[in-house]
Amino acid sequence: MPREWRLRLDPLLLLATLGLVAGSLIALNSATANDIPGQPDYYVLRQGIYAGVGLVLMYGASRLDYSRLRELRYPVYGLLLALILMVLAVAGVTRGSRSWIELPFFNFQPSELGKVLLIVALAGFLVDRMRRMGRDTTARIMVLGLVPTMLVMAEPDLGSAMVYVAGTLALLFVAGAPWRHLAALSALFAVAVTLVLVAAPMAGVEVLKPYQVDRLTSFLAPSADPGDEGYQQHQALIAMGSGEKTGRGVENATQTSLNFLPEHHTDFIFAVVGETYGFAGCALILSLYALLIWRGLHILTVAKNLYGALLAGGITVMLLFQLFVNIGMNVGIMPITGVTAPLLSFGGSSMLATFLALGLLHSVHAQARETAELKGRAPIFQ
Amino acid sequence: MPNPVEERRPPITPQLAMRVAVLGGIAFVLFAIVFFRLWFLQVLSGEDYVSQARDNRVRKVRIEAPRGDIVDRHGTVLVKTRVAAVVQIAPGSLPDAVLDQADAFRKARSAAEQDRLQAAARLRSLERDIRERRRGASRKQRRERRALSREARRAAPVTVPRLPASETEQRRLYRRLGKVIDVRPRVIHERVIEGIAELPYSNVTIRTAVPRDAFNYIRERKEQFPGVDVEKRYLREYPHEELGAQLFGTTREISPEELEMKRYRGVAAGTRIGADGIEESYDDYLRGTDGFTRVIINALGSRDDRRRMARREPRQGQRLRLTLDLKLQRAANDAIRRGVEAASQNGAKAGAFVAMDPRNGEILALGSYPSFDANEFARPISQKRYDELSSEELGAPLFNRAIAATYPTGSTFKPITAMAALEEGVITPTSTIVDDGEFELGDRVLKNAKDASYGALQLPGALTVSSDIFFYELGLQMNGQGPVLQDWARRLGVGRRTGIDIPGEFGGLIPDADWRNKGYEEYLKCAKKAKVEVGTTAALFACGGIERPWTAGDNVNLAVGQGDLQATPLQLATGYATIANGGRVVRPHLGQQVEDGQGRLVEEIRTPLRRRVQFDPAHRDAIMTGLHGAATAANGTSSDVFADFRYRDVLYGKTGTAERQPNPDQSWYACYVDHPTRPIVVVTTIERGGFGAETAAPAARLILNEWFDLQDDEFKAGSDQSN
Repeated sequence: MPREWRLRLDPLLLLATLGLVAGSLIALNSATANDIPGQPDYYVLRQGIYAGVGLVLMYGASRLDYSRLRELRYPVYGLLLALILMVLAVAGVTRGSRSWIELPFFNFQPSELGKVLLIVALAGFLVDRMRRMGRDTTARIMVLGLVPTMLVMAEPDLGSAMVYVAGTLALLFVAGAPWRHLAALSALFAVAVTLVLVAAPMAGVEVLKPYQVDRLTSFLAPSADPGDEGYQQHQALIAMGSGEKTGRGVENATQTSLNFLPEHHTDFIFAVVGETYGFAGCALILSLYALLIWRGLHILTVAKNLYGALLAGGITVMLLFQLFVNIGMNVGIMPITGVTAPLLSFGGSSMLATFLALGLLHSVHAQARETAELKGRAPIFQ
Repeated sequence: MPNPVEERRPPITPQLAMRVAVLGGIAFVLFAIVFFRLWFLQVLSGEDYVSQARDNRVRKVRIEAPRGDIVDRHGTVLVKTRVAAVVQIAPGSLPDAVLDQADAFRKARSAAEQDRLQAAARLRSLERDIRERRRGASRKQRRERRALSREARRAAPVTVPRLPASETEQRRLYRRLGKVIDVRPRVIHERVIEGIAELPYSNVTIRTAVPRDAFNYIRERKEQFPGVDVEKRYLREYPHEELGAQLFGTTREISPEELEMKRYRGVAAGTRIGADGIEESYDDYLRGTDGFTRVIINALGSRDDRRRMARREPRQGQRLRLTLDLKLQRAANDAIRRGVEAASQNGAKAGAFVAMDPRNGEILALGSYPSFDANEFARPISQKRYDELSSEELGAPLFNRAIAATYPTGSTFKPITAMAALEEGVITPTSTIVDDGEFELGDRVLKNAKDASYGALQLPGALTVSSDIFFYELGLQMNGQGPVLQDWARRLGVGRRTGIDIPGEFGGLIPDADWRNKGYEEYLKCAKKAKVEVGTTAALFACGGIERPWTAGDNVNLAVGQGDLQATPLQLATGYATIANGGRVVRPHLGQQVEDGQGRLVEEIRTPLRRRVQFDPAHRDAIMTGLHGAATAANGTSSDVFADFRYRDVLYGKTGTAERQPNPDQSWYACYVDHPTRPIVVVTTIERGGFGAETAAPAARLILNEWFDLQDDEFKAGSDQSN
């Protein structure tokens, strides 16, 4: 019997995705019209292309049998390390400090793709040791997660490093690592952060570059000094707050159009939405994100196997972490870390990596439904 | 929504279910945090942020208002405003090394000025020593005097240090800028240092009247000239150059201290205000109202002209009409110049003049010779040039002697002595005093000039011939009655500030017993404390010059306008006006009325009398008779000067010759013409001018010739040689 064709994607997840992409394009359109003289559509056009390519990539990934990826965990992990090392090597040769590789069409940022690769590989390693979730496993996974984290931090890309840590912890959590391990790890990170931010500078040891420390701490004390990190945060707050309930409209969004708001196409795009469309616009974006996270958690629960559940959990928590850190920084409750808002911020690597992750979510979802059908159960949402 | 299908999915472990629930809980909390934060930011405190966003982008840019013109009593423009492009450097853009240099320069310059003042003080004491030796100066003293006078004349020049070698950026900027505006880089640096030393927070003007192409060049390449401002500014222009230059004052940027002051309330930083002179006194009227435009500024601080904002046009300051008569001012300046030239063999360099309407105190001409081209101060002026203009060699052109120089006035003081003696009952208009040519005071014998003796004199006659003996006698008699002479002098307006409406006036000094005795007490105390012998040069240097208590001789000296008397020409004019107009003490003033741009009256400047003095009209008549005789009678001291003067019937005038040891005598003349419609009081003085009739009286006549439009510009030197 020929199988009838139907969309193998989760419609609600797709709706959230398309909504966010549309929001991104609208915000970019108003924010970047004057950024590059003579090319008002520069960013919108590129983001549109990234989104188009991303959607195709997402569909392709959703058709993939994600369970096969588990067998590829070693090559995937190897690819992850190779890509990051390649960036470091290129940076070393050109004596520059940068986190991307120049490709003909865009600058490829391996650390973004690395977020997906890390989840795929670590989930595979975890499934192997699922029977014995002892101290040994926890330690092993942490080490496997921390190696690329350290490498990425050396690029330096503090934001991605934090995402890697968050993803690794999320996988451990979903896989069922004992609470006390998680508690110990949390304590360990608290100590590490204190050391890096407080103790090391006092002892004169430079673990983070001074500007990174500034960025991490400036949200505690905004300053009026332009060029200063606190100033950026303050300007973001002004943009955000001045939007009031329904926004100032594209014409009057002066924080954005007169460049007071820094990085308004990447890190601070949420503040653009806030200034231009106000609380209403922000609430809409937040709802779309909430929908996205809810669907991710739902897919986690319906996954046909543990590997699928781990993939879904890792990807969902990673997205949650990124969007909270980014939006938190836009509304002044989190430090400036250079973490972008998934699907909203401008950036090819980030867009494509996010679409790839979403494709895997769709794949987990589709296979769960297929399995359910095979076992004679009714489809979930048809 | 509950979905029955859910139940039939493969069961997940309870542990996983719990952990998913935890994740969902965390997600929920995070979203809630962000949501409420957004609510707080955008709904609860949105208005605050809206105003912050507005402050961010809108800047008020001041549009300077041109100052009002200043015109003379006939409407001739004396001071006007023109537009010029200026190039300035903002102090904020300068590297620290340059600011430090400016600081050091300021200190060095004030130290040099201190040295100069000390040298001047030492010179004065040395000259006094020489005078007291009565045998002329010794060789050593002459050498010392030469050295000291050189030091006292001008402060040791302080050179501006070179730009530090490390400031290559700044050096390159000066070179680039210098090439465009045609000023040497070294000069730019000097102007910067001098400008910062003078006014640390104001932009330093490097050049005014910048050619159009240079102006545009810099304006279009701002990034090549960091810290350089090119602007259109209003500059003051003085079409009559040196005429009245000492009266107008200058304009400059308001200082941070002045911004705090009450009289400058509402004035924005960067506004040019009047400094000194009429510009300062009438700043309120002349200043005008600045306009502004609101411009949109982007984050980089550059203007975004795509959007137009509100604009208020600047309003020019009001026009100020002075009581001054430009033609008379010119004539007076020329007259004093000719007087100075006539006395050039004495080394005369300088003089002063006052012409005033005695009825109301309107100043018709006022000034000091030599003068300077006021336009020099509308441009950046170098310290060197400024020093030159203050130097003794050039006659200190910046110094307005008419109001700020105090001198003994010689015999021109006699009418005041006469008034005091008459009113205090020391004499009557018909009392006779015999002038036998000698006046004994203790062990000293005083004589008339040229050892003359005039026999029996009544007051009018004594004034006419200017008998010293007669007035010595009055001074001696009044000394017994307390400070009556002093009180009368002050009452009539001499020896105290006249209250003229420009700053910088000096009060002068009418010596009395109180002043001298108190000063002497302090002198003794000081000498004791400093352990120096009383009466020596060391004591003079340490404790000042009041080396003896008051004696009758002091009053005798004062009676003929000598000794410690210090009065300005303007005070003397006020005193004569008071006697002439019957006791009304006028307040001399230059401001007449405030007008709008078309010359329509906006506000009359009212200058009420200072006070009234009561005296017997008969006493006034006696004095006036004496003064009329002095100017016209055959034996009058200035009659030959005014022999053919058309208004000699209503002319009253007194010569004066002030002894100013060790310098040559100073020539004085004070007169009044009782014209029914154009009465005038004129006071002239010429330092080192000799006898009153020689230079000051002819100069006064030239001024009167102009005032009464008599086509006569002969300098008629008189021959009388009395005090």
